[in-house]
Amino acid sequence: MTEMLHYEFMRIALVMAVLIGLTAPAVGTFIVQRNLSLLGDGVGHVALTGIGLGLLTGTSPVLGALVVSVLGAVAIEVLRARSRSGADVALALLFYGGLAGGVLLTNAEGGGTSLQSYLFGSISSVAIGDLYVVAGLAVVVLGIVVLFGRELFLLCQDEEVARASGLPVRFLSVLIAATAAVTVVIAMRAIGLLLVSALMIVPVAAAQQVTRGFRGTMLLAMGVGVLSAVSGLAGSFQYDLPPGPSIVLLALALFTVAVAGGTVVRRRRARATASGNDEPPAAVRPGVEAEAEVLEG
Amino acid sequence: MTNPSPPFAMKGARVRRDGREVLAGVGLRVETGDVLAVLGPNGAGKSTLVKALLGLIPLAAGRTEIYGVPPARFRDWKRVGYVPQRLPMGGGVPATVREIVSSGRVARQSRWRPGTAADRAAVDRALAATGLTALAREPAHLLSGGQQQRVLIARALAGEPDVFVMDEPTAGVDAGNQVALAETLRELTGAGRTVVLVAHELGPLEPLITRTVELEHGRPVRERALRGRPLAAAPEATMEKSA
Repeated sequence: MTEMLHYEFMRIALVMAVLIGLTAPAVGTFIVQRNLSLLGDGVGHVALTGIGLGLLTGTSPVLGALVVSVLGAVAIEVLRARSRSGADVALALLFYGGLAGGVLLTNAEGGGTSLQSYLFGSISSVAIGDLYVVAGLAVVVLGIVVLFGRELFLLCQDEEVARASGLPVRFLSVLIAATAAVTVVIAMRAIGLLLVSALMIVPVAAAQQVTRGFRGTMLLAMGVGVLSAVSGLAGSFQYDLPPGPSIVLLALALFTVAVAGGTVVRRRRARATASGNDEPPAAVRPGVEAEAEVLEG
Repeated sequence: MTNPSPPFAMKGARVRRDGREVLAGVGLRVETGDVLAVLGPNGAGKSTLVKALLGLIPLAAGRTEIYGVPPARFRDWKRVGYVPQRLPMGGGVPATVREIVSSGRVARQSRWRPGTAADRAAVDRALAATGLTALAREPAHLLSGGQQQRVLIARALAGEPDVFVMDEPTAGVDAGNQVALAETLRELTGAGRTVVLVAHELGPLEPLITRTVELEHGRPVRERALRGRPLAAAPEATMEKSA
């Protein structure tokens, strides 16, 4: 196993894996709670156009991806906030446009093979310069999570309460979408744009099976993220597998374990609270929704 | 009238939704110390009214002010504690009772500083006042309806606001827990806080209420003063001509 540390590209790749494993689930916790699990996927598609633009204009594909995916995420958020029924279709249009535009632009540039590496990840081709960019972006993402965490928590809990607390709801919504876009760019070299959002969502889905709180979920998800990114990468080196799919499948395996563990935890908890609780949870009480019809047209 | 900028002052408020008029010209003035219950049948516009008071729903016509300032320009949100109808599940990421209650401090906190001892003390007091201290570390979405309602009240309480706006605090709460809730409210109102609450029926809350406004089809149809208080600002809370 230590053999892989002899290679510089693997040392770089492992550091990158740790950074991705930390950042993607941290942002993902907010994304999941906000019911935006597919946002990362959409941004991934849009980012392809940015890569195409970067390749075509001879500038950095990462920079192209960063600019276009942040713009795409902001567009998605604006669409989501503005329209109620049309947002779904509008998002789909954006996704297809991003993917088609990316393929077309990279094709025009003649870089069909490099497209492949962005779609499915190619961590062996990363250079030290890429690592600096990823590390810088990871600091920005984690900084945003720390600085705006309290506000984002309330926003993701209940947007109306956030507004009635005077929070800048529109700004925070765009901020979380843009942060997700930056995270996509961080993770795309290792995991590939088609699987990139898996590492935002799957570790969170795994963690929330066994945790009680939001902070606990985020920290455990970051642990799951680092574990699956690092061991997936190591495994892919050892057995000559593509790293992106290895990382994602490992995360899914951890999710399966967490589901099993969560079932046990919940059963035990239910038994413990059965004595203290005289009411069933609100979710199963029919009367609770009584007055909601006026508000949710 | 007595006070130049009461907690809430609404005039001729209209709200339309999908072509239907949900609020059809409501005037309402809430004075400091009022414990106002907004009553009425399902679909009368009660929840819409309290959300419009907070600026959460835009008005198609008319105007509303919070402490003399329109909601869009209002900045002093720490004076207002909003208790929504339910605890939304969102994407299912759990949150402990304490995490949710702590988020009620957000209007008083600086982005650049971690929580202070005063924040933690206020959260402790809010948990104690709502009888949630023992449940502080529990995931809120697994609690009963009555307990979740108390979590929402505790969150507003933690922010130490001057005025509470509560959307159906008794919905889905059984009789026993309604009494407990009334007890919590009694302490709030005893401290001179202003409360606007939406209710289907008053039940155990009745002794606390100083005024009621009844809505029907988006219009106030009746106003009563309770506990022998005179009808305050009677002409304000009356029907206004519909367009």
